[in-house]
Amino acid sequence: MKTDEFNIVLSGVGGQGTLLVAEVLGTAAIKEGLNVRVSEIHGMAQRGGAVVSTVRIGEKVQAPTVLEGQADVLVGFEPIETVRSLRFASEKTAVLMSDERIFPSELAAKKMTYPDMKDIVEKIHRFTGKIIIVETEKLAREAGSTLTQNIVLLGALAATEKVPIKNESLIEAIQELVPAKHVGMNVKAFKLGYEYVKKMKVQA
Amino acid sequence: MPNLRVLLEDKPEKRVLLLGNEAIARGALEAGIGVVTTYPGTPASEIADSISEIAADAGLYMEYSINEIVAVEVAAGAASCGVRALTAMKHVGLNVASDMLMTLAYAGVRGGYVIVTADDPECYSSQNEQDNRFYALLSNLPCLEPSNPQEAKDMTITAIEISEKLELPVLLRTTTRVSHTRGPVTYGRLATPNLKGKFVKDVKRLVMVPANSRPKHEVLLRAMERAKEISETSPHNKVVRTSKSKELGIVSSSSAYNYAVEAADLLGLDASILKLGMTHPLPEKMIGEYLKKHQKVIIVEELEPYLEMQIKAIAKDKAPDVDIYGKMSKRYFPKEGELSTRVVAKGLADITGKGLPIDFSEIKEKYDEVSKNLPARPPILCAGCPHRASFYDMRKVVGEKTIFATDIGCYALGIAPPLNVGDIMICMGASIGTAQGISRVTDENTIAIIGDSTFFHAGIPGLINAVYNNHKVVVAVLDNLTTAMTGHQPHPGTGVTGMQSASEKVLIEKIADGCGVKYVRVVDPFKVSETETALKEALQNQGPSVLVFRAPCALVAVREKRSKGIRIEAYKITDKCTNCMACIRLLGCPALTVEEGKVNIDEALCTACGLCISVCPFKAIGGST
Ligand SMILES: Cc1ncc(C[n+]2csc(CCOP(=O)(O)OP(=O)(O)O)c2C)c(N)n1
Ligand code: SF4
Ligand code: SF4
Repeated sequence: MKTDEFNIVLSGVGGQGTLLVAEVLGTAAIKEGLNVRVSEIHGMAQRGGAVVSTVRIGEKVQAPTVLEGQADVLVGFEPIETVRSLRFASEKTAVLMSDERIFPSELAAKKMTYPDMKDIVEKIHRFTGKIIIVETEKLAREAGSTLTQNIVLLGALAATEKVPIKNESLIEAIQELVPAKHVGMNVKAFKLGYEYVKKMKVQA
Repeated sequence: MPNLRVLLEDKPEKRVLLLGNEAIARGALEAGIGVVTTYPGTPASEIADSISEIAADAGLYMEYSINEIVAVEVAAGAASCGVRALTAMKHVGLNVASDMLMTLAYAGVRGGYVIVTADDPECYSSQNEQDNRFYALLSNLPCLEPSNPQEAKDMTITAIEISEKLELPVLLRTTTRVSHTRGPVTYGRLATPNLKGKFVKDVKRLVMVPANSRPKHEVLLRAMERAKEISETSPHNKVVRTSKSKELGIVSSSSAYNYAVEAADLLGLDASILKLGMTHPLPEKMIGEYLKKHQKVIIVEELEPYLEMQIKAIAKDKAPDVDIYGKMSKRYFPKEGELSTRVVAKGLADITGKGLPIDFSEIKEKYDEVSKNLPARPPILCAGCPHRASFYDMRKVVGEKTIFATDIGCYALGIAPPLNVGDIMICMGASIGTAQGISRVTDENTIAIIGDSTFFHAGIPGLINAVYNNHKVVVAVLDNLTTAMTGHQPHPGTGVTGMQSASEKVLIEKIADGCGVKYVRVVDPFKVSETETALKEALQNQGPSVLVFRAPCALVAVREKRSKGIRIEAYKITDKCTNCMACIRLLGCPALTVEEGKVNIDEALCTACGLCISVCPFKAIGGST
């Protein structure tokens, strides 16, 4: 379709740090002189509910939200939430998904089990073949805290080489937006996410 | 998260990524506003919250007022002394402030005064999706509608200028997608805020007794004639794109404008576009000329056909032959919910007969299939939330019986299973009043559930009513020592002000006492048996009683502990667990999960509140060592 816009959909659970990733992407885009719109949902939706943030980069971009089927990258912070945002995906979409499961409370209440990972991947495959699963928890632990899983995913996103923003700008934005004492850990998380995907690509 | 000091940089032409609401805050600083007041509410909160962070350094005065009408009163008082002022609120806040608004329009202001109303199409975090542009019509006040963060900043300044020119308050109306969109903003010069006012006595102008109001109504109408002239030449009302064929025109404003532009491009329409930024009063001449130049004009707007109604009236006089499409005679666009590029493209396609280049129905079909049995994930009370404990205590005492008139705040999430607390909820403060009507005409026990911030905002008159008219209700004030739902703002009970300085704490139990309530108790909801006793006593009471359930919001408490480096030792399920599922069945704590048929505590989420310990019949939950 149009090439003068680049659309990122970030889908996760309130509290997972999707907003920070969106803000880092937006800030880095500004550093490179690009036009950008970031949409966020605050308030009610944040209390452990499903949240979607979008980042759109490009000269002609005006609306903050992404059109169905038009995501260039869908970053799923959680498997169920990745599926919930598949309406933004099509064959052109690259899906990056964390394997970190967060159990919706409905499961326990209704005696249901978490959907099988195989089913989840199959569902994604109905929209696109381009899918990378990232072991965010393991990598975030290595970086120093499981709270950095969001930045692991950002590193992974940067490694897909699809995003029209340089790594340096993203790292600079992380340094500006994360509290000083956590910068080191987050930059490490970024690099671990980045290398994880790079290595995977070499194998593929 | 964001470092708000960036708002204080005096670097004209600097390009910064700002949230729409932060951009309004920056606009306030560039406009030299001296007084900012608010009552929090999504999607407006960050306007005043970001000012609160920097107010002392910026040299302006900021306050969290008790509710929206008081916020307008305080700001209007300052503006009547010539100080520039801004009040921010969510759309329904303007209902609360409307009594002031309607007559302030007559009295007017001296210092520029802008009232920001942030509307919430799609009810992302609101009880309704009213279209507040009608308040502009109703009150006869000018209204500006930005479509992105840059305009949000610029129009804040324009609003102040217009306000001072006309000596009228001006409405700045955003929507969730303007307030909560980040985008590039280019700075202008910072101004030095003026906080020094002078009250000039002028009874005819400021005392709205009938003899003064009558002539002031006339003055208001004349000022709005001048406002129309401003609107005719305003740079915010302009044709942003012309067409080759001159057949088709699109008129739009606010967030809808963004979708309209992208949808027109998606369809490859040859259409001119008139963007309206000042939407009250409308530039009638300009719109008349525009209509005359086209055969078909499509009006793209969110929620009510506010523009369409007025534009059709203009067309009747100035361009009777033009065909106007929107949502009135035929609904090409919905009146409910938010718009999107897809929804607008569909409407434009239907009107023009152009085909959509994307097969949305195919995407929808495929999506409906993959998402059919997907577990829902609605917002829920956090792990460790004191409201969960309060509701558990109440259910323990009353079982399935009792009618719960609830209110607006995090505790509204108590309606979810397994707690199911909340049988009626309308607007802020209504819990206490509706409970009284229900109690009067039924034999049921009625408990009003109200948060601390909501109690201060609108609960007190209802409570006095209960005392005066002797209604048998239990008022449960869930005091988590913050305004949690809207972003943890302080309130009179917290002893912290918007300037981030200390103040006298106003105690809810003292207020109840002062209102004449005979039975008033303060309980800790995590102390289950004590709370049970108090609640039973309260229910025995023949008149109104007040129970203050006091325990801090878990999110705030955890954040504080983390910042102090205190580790939270999550509880663990020991081998005494029989998998009876009592904790799961009774609490709905997100930290309690069932994995492969076994109960488990998610250590990342557990705040060690200990409620589940009180619940477990086998004492199978313990602290880790
Ligand atoms: C008139 C009006 N103003 C503002 C709001 C936004 N709002 C929703 S809940 C709430 C207050 C929540 O605080 P509190 O009552 O203390 O409950 P908590 O969320 O802390 O549990 C506010 C301000 C609203 N819904 N209506
Ligand atoms: S933010 Fe605080 S009050 Fe709201 S649900 Fe979470 S713990 Fe409860
Ligand atoms: S698991 Fe138990 S102790 Fe931990 S937060 Fe939930 S109810 Fe409280």
